[in-house]
Amino acid sequence: MQSNVPQIFDRARLRRNRARRAAGLGDYDFLLRRAAHDLAGRIALQNRTFDTALCLGASGRILHRALSQQGGDRIGRLIEADMTPALVSAGGLVLDEESLPLKPQSLDLVISLWGMHHVNDLPGAFLQIRRALKPDGLFLAALPGGATLTALRAAFLAIEAEILGGAHPHIHPFADLQDLAGLMQRAGFALPVADSDVVNVRYQNPYRLLDDLRGMGEANVLTARPRHFLRRDVLAAALAQFAAQTQEDGKAVADFEICYLAGWAPHESQTHAHEEGQPFTRFDESALPDKQG
Amino acid sequence: MSDTQKLDPALLELLVCPVSHGPLSYDEKAGELVSKEAGLAYPVRDGIPIMLAEEARKLEA
Repeated sequence: MQSNVPQIFDRARLRRNRARRAAGLGDYDFLLRRAAHDLAGRIALQNRTFDTALCLGASGRILHRALSQQGGDRIGRLIEADMTPALVSAGGLVLDEESLPLKPQSLDLVISLWGMHHVNDLPGAFLQIRRALKPDGLFLAALPGGATLTALRAAFLAIEAEILGGAHPHIHPFADLQDLAGLMQRAGFALPVADSDVVNVRYQNPYRLLDDLRGMGEANVLTARPRHFLRRDVLAAALAQFAAQTQEDGKAVADFEICYLAGWAPHESQTHAHEEGQPFTRFDESALPDKQG
Repeated sequence: MSDTQKLDPALLELLVCPVSHGPLSYDEKAGELVSKEAGLAYPVRDGIPIMLAEEARKLEA
């Protein structure tokens, strides 16, 4: 961890949240499964194989399962890593994405599944990943982007300003796709590609959205998070405003923007275009929950 | 110690100390990955190396 970088996220708390939520993650992993499916599809499209691959954000073998449907034949060995042993199975390792314990030029593929949005020093993390890749190695990431939960964030801001006279940070800031693409370039990745996919999740009861966020291990880990409990009337008013402003057919709609990043560790022979701009297999929309609870 | 608790040598091949980025040596008996440069010993639990400075044991100077 670099102490000269502002610590926006409390990594120790994030690790505790992930450990605490590990056993129940399977009930809340619909976004992770969607992102893993998409990443596996992108791996399947590569016209090469990857002997040694590392998944950051093992999250209980979600990527492994997605790769068993497509893309698995492109990978020799998949090592799964997470911040907590509770989410890692045999053969994996526990690490922190901010301080990677990886030998330079040791990996053919690094996949980050839903982890880069909690990293304090994102340029530093990208650089560490690039250095861990062999020349012509591939980095793929899926993470929530700037268009995630914008209506819920706005509702909290407005209601807290109205009732409390000032707002507290409840929803994490998320980097915009453009910024992420710029950071990839800055970290020295060749042929960087960034695109995103907005997922709408409908909630009959907007409180279920908060359950989902906690269930995914996405509870507030901002260093500047409020230390007191959120007042019940403030929460109710914010969720009511969120529901009123997003509702479709009586259901509140939460937006999640999943950003996908790809970039290659530079290699002198890199004039060939890696499978860019091809249509990716889309995730089966019917697999997304329609929240009735 | 059973075989399932041993660290996979192919995994060890990829690892360095996350603090010093220096080499690690595997103390199989103690179940630790030792970074002399950082003065830290990282635990290996059920064959899974825990590469976190917060979880590492500080070595006596």
